[in-house]
Amino acid sequence: MNISIVPALKVLRPAAMLVIVILVGLVLGYWANATFVPGNSPEQPIAFSHKIHAGDNEVPCLYCHTQARRSPSAGVPAVSKCVGCHLEVATEKPQIRLLMSYWENREPIPWIKVHDLPDFVHFTHKRHVLANIECQTCHGPVETMDRITVSSRAVNGSAQVGHPWKMGLCLSCHRENEVVNGIDCLTCHK
Amino acid sequence: MPNIDRREFLKLVGAGGVSVGAGFMLREANKDPREYLIPHVLAPEDFSSGLDTFYNSVCSMCPAGCGISVRTREGRAKKIEGNPAHPVSQGRLCTLGQAGLQALYNPDRLTAPMRRTGEGESASFEEITWEQGLKQVGDRLDLLRAARRGNRVAFLTQGVRGHLAQLFESFMRQLGSPRLLHYDFDHPHTLYAANQQFFGESRLPYYDLANTRLLLSFGADYLNNWISPVHHSLGFGESRQGRADVRGRFVQIEPRMSISGAAADEWIPAKPGTEGILALGLAHHIVAEGNYSGADLGAWTNALADYTPDAVAEQTGVPVNTITRLADSFVDTTPSLAIGGGAAGNHSNGVDTLVAVNALNYLVGNIGQEGGLVLNPEPAGPAVQQHRASYSAMVELAEAARQGEIDILIISGTNPVFTLPPAAEFAEALAQIPLVVSLSSFLDETTALADVILPSHTYLESWGDDFPEPGVGFSVGAVSQPVVSPLYNTRGTGDIILDLARRMGSSSVMPWQNMEEFLKYGWRRIYQRGDSQTLAQGFDAFWTSVLKAGAWGETTNGSTAFTLNPDVIAGIGVAPPEFSGSEEDYPFILHPYLSPNFHDGRGANLPWMQELPDPMTSVVYGSWVEVNPVTAEEMGLSEGDLVDIQSPHGQLRVPVFVYPAIMPNVIAIPIGQGHGEYGRYAKGRGVNPIEILSPLLEPITGNLASSATRVNLTPTGGRVKLVKTGGVSRDLGRDIVQHTSLGVEVSSAADNSIPITEVTT
Repeated sequence: MNISIVPALKVLRPAAMLVIVILVGLVLGYWANATFVPGNSPEQPIAFSHKIHAGDNEVPCLYCHTQARRSPSAGVPAVSKCVGCHLEVATEKPQIRLLMSYWENREPIPWIKVHDLPDFVHFTHKRHVLANIECQTCHGPVETMDRITVSSRAVNGSAQVGHPWKMGLCLSCHRENEVVNGIDCLTCHK
Repeated sequence: MPNIDRREFLKLVGAGGVSVGAGFMLREANKDPREYLIPHVLAPEDFSSGLDTFYNSVCSMCPAGCGISVRTREGRAKKIEGNPAHPVSQGRLCTLGQAGLQALYNPDRLTAPMRRTGEGESASFEEITWEQGLKQVGDRLDLLRAARRGNRVAFLTQGVRGHLAQLFESFMRQLGSPRLLHYDFDHPHTLYAANQQFFGESRLPYYDLANTRLLLSFGADYLNNWISPVHHSLGFGESRQGRADVRGRFVQIEPRMSISGAAADEWIPAKPGTEGILALGLAHHIVAEGNYSGADLGAWTNALADYTPDAVAEQTGVPVNTITRLADSFVDTTPSLAIGGGAAGNHSNGVDTLVAVNALNYLVGNIGQEGGLVLNPEPAGPAVQQHRASYSAMVELAEAARQGEIDILIISGTNPVFTLPPAAEFAEALAQIPLVVSLSSFLDETTALADVILPSHTYLESWGDDFPEPGVGFSVGAVSQPVVSPLYNTRGTGDIILDLARRMGSSSVMPWQNMEEFLKYGWRRIYQRGDSQTLAQGFDAFWTSVLKAGAWGETTNGSTAFTLNPDVIAGIGVAPPEFSGSEEDYPFILHPYLSPNFHDGRGANLPWMQELPDPMTSVVYGSWVEVNPVTAEEMGLSEGDLVDIQSPHGQLRVPVFVYPAIMPNVIAIPIGQGHGEYGRYAKGRGVNPIEILSPLLEPITGNLASSATRVNLTPTGGRVKLVKTGGVSRDLGRDIVQHTSLGVEVSSAADNSIPITEVTT
């Protein structure tokens, strides 16, 4: 008996094409979103540049993020802190005018959070700052960024795909520095 | 290239377009939700993001006045605990105090001033500005004051102490109105009156539970709701386990086993209202056995002549040998202490009962003794007159309103429409008052009938102070400070009153801009009592240290010497209790008790309190009536059966809970549920037993004899399932509660009449 699959393929061809088109479409859509709408570098309400502040003018990180050395969270400076300098500095730039409009209306600036950890991770800035870990170790070369971005170069200087803040980042560093209880689950997950 | 017709092509284009969109959304949905970092505009000095800041303050969830320590983070209150430095709470706090956060964050809080619009059924509230609300009230106050008709203003508040009480008083003095009433359902009027009679001062003494070796409690549920439960619990623990060689013994005398009864070594059910007679029976035995040898022995012998153990056993239902045994051990154990209150004080003979309890302490020399009853010094707070309003004072107010004698009624923090029996006709009286102003934080039953609502801050947002009553044997005070910024467009009660005072032209007498300023003014006087070191540092340092510590104290004790006025002895005697309703028609005595969760109903809008199982029955959310197993069996009732409970003044439908530790002719319903308003968590849950109470009074104080209503029970045939966490109360052969005999034969059988056994169904 002679069996051929050709007639069956003929029937299936439109369906197969449909599946291929859908799959290609899904990948394309996904890729377009990942490329053109990145979550790791959102546009902020004020185009604050870390490059100008921390890079060009070498303002220390802890000058603004004062909480980092004594609190779990590094803290965002109050609007008054920005205004403290910008009453005098660069007052004519449009972004500084925008800042002053927030200040005059007594409104906080709704910064968008970029660096985030899941709620089940108990990370504390205090310990790491007091242990003289450079901010850039996790946050990447912030002093070169005009817009804050989750840096894929944060880990070991090598490029990584996706978000670099996985548990491996914590563990490798804790292992390397032989942190006491550094790889104990309850050190971070409590 | 395959051959594609136009139709096929359009199909593919459509599918492709949709799938690109789907892919895009798939990625979008996988992203973390966008979070914001909202900075301060101006950073407060004491603020560190991510770090806790603790503020010491005073709890206002019940009148005990515990010191609290509130953990805040990023300007939000997160947790309330007891303040270890405060002598009343000593680092502990009850469940209601812990749930204070839910008063602050309650979704049903009043967020802005409101005014009633429309009449009757179509009435509703519209939001107004503070200026509108204060002007409306202030202008009318000013008119009345100018016309010298200020006595047409009445001010009804919950029991307040300290400078807020003084503020209310001077406010009403400016109006020339005597109608300032402090009303709380559970205020121990009879205890104050009994102390006035016996000690000559209308104050509560300090009950030194911690150092006592034998405590007789006549109806006082001291571990649950009586006066200062957190402090009593501390004393209870100290007495039981805090001393190496002594374990304090507790005997609880009450018709229905309360939490304190469950914690006691012995629970003695005396017939309701006969607790005082029992106390005098003990006193008789003490005197008759020659265990009292004071100069006034003759007077005591005469006064107690009628209270022979046999006669008392007959009246109280407590066996003779129990009476004599208790009396003997009360004498033999030093120090010992008798306390009385709660349901025992809420009978027609309430004052006499509590005088009898004081007499018992006097006869064995407990007064002024460590481990006994320590007289408190004069409170350090501002001197204010007594404005305690009993039931009859509230009825008088309602009557005055009906006569058209009241033009303005200001209500602050109390909810009389819920906590007064309908016989007082308080809600009807409110309708007769042209302007009812409520300062409540919540839309409770009373506020719902108000014309203008000027909502107050919760206690966690406002300034105040407290001088706990009873003190702890020495002077204690504490300042209540705001621990968070106000959440809504509300104002502090004191600030509202000061604003109204300005509007009626009293700013020369009451010049303070706000409560904080007034408090500082008042605390200057307390600062001046300080030693030279305190004075040298200046007032600001003193103020800061009081706020930081959350407590202020002085180690001057009250007087220890006490001489009894001989006239008191002749007046000692407890009449049999009166009940409303005949025994034939109403065979049961209703024992309404304050719920451990809701107090007098004020905690019912806190979901934590609603979902907390009742400690004795484990029932959650609803109401129930506790019925003795024997009674239940006779009537064919079992758990969950709906019964109608009828008193001469009303009727309730409520499910049965078979409760072994209650006298067969007594039924008990917890107070606190059955709200018709008061927010989503309180509304429409359970029943309010106050609704069927008869307006029977204690004649000396005018206190409502709330434990003296007779009721009958009618099964309806209906049935519900009680929500409770407890399973079967029986052992079922599992040997969970293992027991062995003491090796001592306990005297005659049925020593205390009611065996605690479960019913077999």
